[in-house]
Amino acid sequence: MTALAPPAALRSGLGYWWHSYRMMLRWEITSLRLVLPVTVMVQVLTGAGFVLALGLFFGRVPPRAALFVSTGVVVLTLTTIGLVLGPQLIAQQKAEQTYDFLWSLPVPRTTAAFAWLTTNLVLGLPGMLVALGVAQLRYDLDLHVSPAIVPAVLLTLLTGTMIGYALAHALGNPMLIAAITQLFIFVILGFSPINFPADQLPDWLAALHRWLPLAPMADTVRAGLTVGVVEDVTRSYLVLGAWAAASVGATAAILRRRG
Amino acid sequence: MTAPAIAPTTLRRGAGYWLTGYRAMLRFDLASSRSWLLTFLIVQVLMGAGMALIYGFYLGDMPPEAATFLATGAPTLALIPLGMALLPSLIATHKIEGTYDFMWSLPVRRTATAVSSFTIFTVLALPGVAVSLAVAGWRYDLDLRVSLWVIPAVLMASLMSASVGFGIGHAVPDPGITNVITNLLLFVVLMFSPISFPIENFPGWLAAVHHVLPFWHMANVVRDAVTDGLVDSVGRSYLVLGAWTVGTWLLAAWAIRRRG
Repeated sequence: MTALAPPAALRSGLGYWWHSYRMMLRWEITSLRLVLPVTVMVQVLTGAGFVLALGLFFGRVPPRAALFVSTGVVVLTLTTIGLVLGPQLIAQQKAEQTYDFLWSLPVPRTTAAFAWLTTNLVLGLPGMLVALGVAQLRYDLDLHVSPAIVPAVLLTLLTGTMIGYALAHALGNPMLIAAITQLFIFVILGFSPINFPADQLPDWLAALHRWLPLAPMADTVRAGLTVGVVEDVTRSYLVLGAWAAASVGATAAILRRRG
Repeated sequence: MTAPAIAPTTLRRGAGYWLTGYRAMLRFDLASSRSWLLTFLIVQVLMGAGMALIYGFYLGDMPPEAATFLATGAPTLALIPLGMALLPSLIATHKIEGTYDFMWSLPVRRTATAVSSFTIFTVLALPGVAVSLAVAGWRYDLDLRVSLWVIPAVLMASLMSASVGFGIGHAVPDPGITNVITNLLLFVVLMFSPISFPIENFPGWLAAVHHVLPFWHMANVVRDAVTDGLVDSVGRSYLVLGAWTVGTWLLAAWAIRRRG
């Protein structure tokens, strides 16, 4: 009796990519099934928490401050998953030594990246919507949602996720990744003009933020939710686009090198 | 060859025995603090002085009184992570690593072990408190009036914080739950506590809750010791802090005795 080799399937093409992407997405969601609900809950709580806590910081909340925090938490929920949770999960894979196994799966590597992006979007949306809803109820905001919110949210998510992704794949030491992500939380929440206007930061820090991705993320998202708060978003889109391109390029280079 | 002599038995009780145990445990705790002390000082300053800066960014321009209020919350914020977050997670780590039972098997009185923890965690919190107050005072250009009351105020607040952490660490059996509690605690402290903001900003029900919780009282006694005229009376705050301290001691005693 002779054993026949199974027919060789062509491992390329759009169909194969799409199939792999769906497999990776399912893999991603299944492996996060414990982390996922907790993360969404933490996102919802911190998002709504920031909105409500602002009322305790001020005796009487100025409308501008309320508008900034309410639109800022949207950026917060979009960036913390990509910049903080993502690298921590990858660090955990490295610590548990499942990292190499994941890359040995017979799928194009881009599908893994896209599956992670999709997961981030799914994780970020509930927190974002709840925070906006709570803000609307609490402060009766003057929100004007425009179609510009869609590219702003997608670009913000893409850039944040890819920076985190590139960083986590480039760095070997899980402890170092953990320390950097903790620092990110601190910088995102406290030292970036996301939840408050840039003019409330010291001048040198505000100037620095003109070239970092966080302020442009906040500007573009805020421009999609309000009218007359953000003056010109062209520059923000350019800076953010440059960061997006650079982080995607870096991720691609790192993933290819591992091959 | 003669049979080995049995070591003379010493009496394992009395004040002298307790003191020897206490000193040995102090040395033990101090030595093990080397692994986290420096990181911790940084975390403390980030939490104390860092939050004073961050709250300032959120508030924008503010009158001097609000700035004073904010800056004098910094030392209290610097106290909380050591006692209420690090201490319970160290105890949880002992439980995970299985060294928890070893700690209790050491031939010292359990009260000596406990008092040693309180001493170490009360004292090691102090440098971070001082640095945080100095940085916040410098940032907002404040004219602080530090009175001698700062000694009992900071010691009391620090001891209370260590006692609560000790109580949580020992009374909660599951280390995972301990971590959830400490994270939740930090969240509440940073976002929903009248430490850096006047309690008048808080809705009635939340203010009432904070009259019972220790955070506002900690901030109250510390603020009273470094400013003039911002705090009305601190007698009640000292009493509440004392009650939390003693209450969590009893909780810890119950949890430790239950272990048998």
